[in-house]
Amino acid sequence: MPAAPDKLATLRRQLAERFPSPPRIAGRVFPTGLPALDEIAGGLPLGAVTEIVCSAPSCGGQLLLGQLLATTRAARQRVALIDGSDSFDPTSHSPDLLAHLVWIRCNPTVSSAKTSATADALQAADLLARDANFALIVLDLRRAAENELRRTPATQWYRLQRAVEPTDLSLVAITPRATVPSAQLRFTLSASHSAIALELERPALATALAPALQRQRLHVAAIA
Amino acid sequence: MFAVLHIADFPLHAVLRNEPDAARRPAALFTGTGKKSVVLAANSAARAPGVELGMTAPQAVARCPGLVIRAPNAAAEAEARAVLLAVSFTLSPSIEDTAPGVCTIDLRGSTREQFESAARAAVTELVRLGLPATAGLARTPLLALYAAQSNRSRSLNLSLSPSENSSAKLQAERTRTIKITRTNEDLTILVLLITPATEKSFLASLPLSAADPSPELAAILSTWGLRTLGDLTALPRDDIVRRFGAAGLALWQRAAGGDPRPIRPVVPPQTFAAAMEFEHEIETLEPLLFILRRFLDRLALELLAAQLVAAELELTLRLEDDSQLARNFRLPEPTADVEILFRALHTHLESLQTASSISALTLRVVPTRPLVRQQGLFETGLRDPHGFAETLARLSALVGADRVGTPQLEDTHRPDGLKLVAPLAVIPPPPAFPLHPAIGAPLRRFRPPLPAQLELTSGRPTYLWTEKIRGEICAQGPVYSSSGDWWQLDRAWTRCESDIVLADGGLYRLLIENNVYFIEGEYD
Repeated sequence: MPAAPDKLATLRRQLAERFPSPPRIAGRVFPTGLPALDEIAGGLPLGAVTEIVCSAPSCGGQLLLGQLLATTRAARQRVALIDGSDSFDPTSHSPDLLAHLVWIRCNPTVSSAKTSATADALQAADLLARDANFALIVLDLRRAAENELRRTPATQWYRLQRAVEPTDLSLVAITPRATVPSAQLRFTLSASHSAIALELERPALATALAPALQRQRLHVAAIA
Repeated sequence: MFAVLHIADFPLHAVLRNEPDAARRPAALFTGTGKKSVVLAANSAARAPGVELGMTAPQAVARCPGLVIRAPNAAAEAEARAVLLAVSFTLSPSIEDTAPGVCTIDLRGSTREQFESAARAAVTELVRLGLPATAGLARTPLLALYAAQSNRSRSLNLSLSPSENSSAKLQAERTRTIKITRTNEDLTILVLLITPATEKSFLASLPLSAADPSPELAAILSTWGLRTLGDLTALPRDDIVRRFGAAGLALWQRAAGGDPRPIRPVVPPQTFAAAMEFEHEIETLEPLLFILRRFLDRLALELLAAQLVAAELELTLRLEDDSQLARNFRLPEPTADVEILFRALHTHLESLQTASSISALTLRVVPTRPLVRQQGLFETGLRDPHGFAETLARLSALVGADRVGTPQLEDTHRPDGLKLVAPLAVIPPPPAFPLHPAIGAPLRRFRPPLPAQLELTSGRPTYLWTEKIRGEICAQGPVYSSSGDWWQLDRAWTRCESDIVLADGGLYRLLIENNVYFIEGEYD
């Protein structure tokens, strides 16, 4: 009797044969406009999950998000921001940069008694990953409660990965610590802004961001 | 050429099509609900154990203990009639509502291949919609009706005489059979084409009762030994007229298949609506969705026949406590696709909770002309507008309708002054690069602001405590005061804010309101 992984592999192969999908080109990326990130990985991988770990306060997570908004706005691509703690501040950004944004506000104080804000955010990501209209989904769990992140089963992250794999969208998860086991790329922002960051122009601040590459899983086809 | 779509035991199937479970069990339609009510119609599962027309309910139940007993329902019959007409309009614009369960279609202008395949598709569609139908295609409307009516009896009763058997074999060559297997019933549906070559042999095998003779005539002809239409038409017509007068002539002509006649055309529906009152109140989602799917199947067919599409759906639910729930669904892109229309309703109903059970529902479709345009090469509209609308509806159900959308800043200096609006269908071109880019890192807000305590040394804050953040303050920016809406007593606001830097990293905005400190956000 075949083991469970073999059965799963057989089932997947049979499904792929029964419902063939057009071949996808591995290794495609979405350039972010952030030199430090684009030089390392070429951009955010499409059809994959990228994790940005914000391990220090004021380390530039929102700055990076603003840069992603500007890049997608220039390309007229639709973006979804799943705000796990309702912390996004639209007034910090130009109104023109928000025309393409769909903001999902999961507020921990108003989430239903049955589910947590993090669970709502993950469910929202699962729904959005199956929508063909988005080019980028940002799942902001930077302020998610530690116990909620720990309770999230790894299978849920792999399910999210499976959902985005056949698509052309890039999913970015912003977390306080390394959390996403299915992430193809993981960067860490660990340096806090200095006081001068309140006086510098934002493009200069974004250029100065130095995300450190923590993990990069290469696609088999890309290696070949 | 004419076609007839025929639904045997129409009142029974009209009722059963709204009850998926009952349709698979032995079921019979009675004249009423009293003790003396008798069987008007029974399905094949009920006939098999011996339920016959005219039996009382106790007699029928004695023969078939699990019999589903139903009474005629005028609303269900009207809905089934609308379904039959809607399907008939897919064959031709010229159709006649001949009788309950009988629709005559004028097929002039179409070729044999066209009307044969269209008739098969129509019968299949009717079966899918819960109405087991048969179709007949022939030179005259009456002959087509004979063909449609004879299909089912022939398919279920093959005990023919040798001569009849040979003619049946001949017809079988010209017959396309669609077999649809149900859970407990093998229903063979035939689309029977009667050509001039087979017309005589077909009529010859039909029983005399097919021509609907009066009881007196039937009795006399029976004593003469006439059993089939062929027996009657073998007699000279003039002799029949001399013996029975006008009634005899009419019968002889009916026995010969009648003549082509102009049909009384049905006007296509101008409004697209469906309604139903439930005998038993509905408390769960499944039966409601089942009925809505039935409605949408019919309405979509009517829309297609009228070359229209749905722009909006209006759903009204009447509750047991006589209150009403009404909801309009504006479709992101007009469509007549049943799946899309159904998904729009399904997504809404999934998260709907009512105070009491549902006693009636009405569904109305606002039609519009289909949008025909070519997508621009560089247009960045929605790839899947219906999928987008459905995703937004699901997200709204998950986090709240007021918490999903595109942020739009309000024309005010009030902090955090914004509202959420529906996302744009087409993303506008990007603005020119700003001459004066934004200054400083964006804020990551705390909603609501975190209450904070400060330690002051020589009037300057030196240490910060909040529920989530604490640390030594190593620098503080200037304090800015602002106020607004002073002309509105209930909306007036005054505040002071300052930026602080913690020694172990972290830039925060300190908010001072009425001498109470808060952390409004983190510069990130």
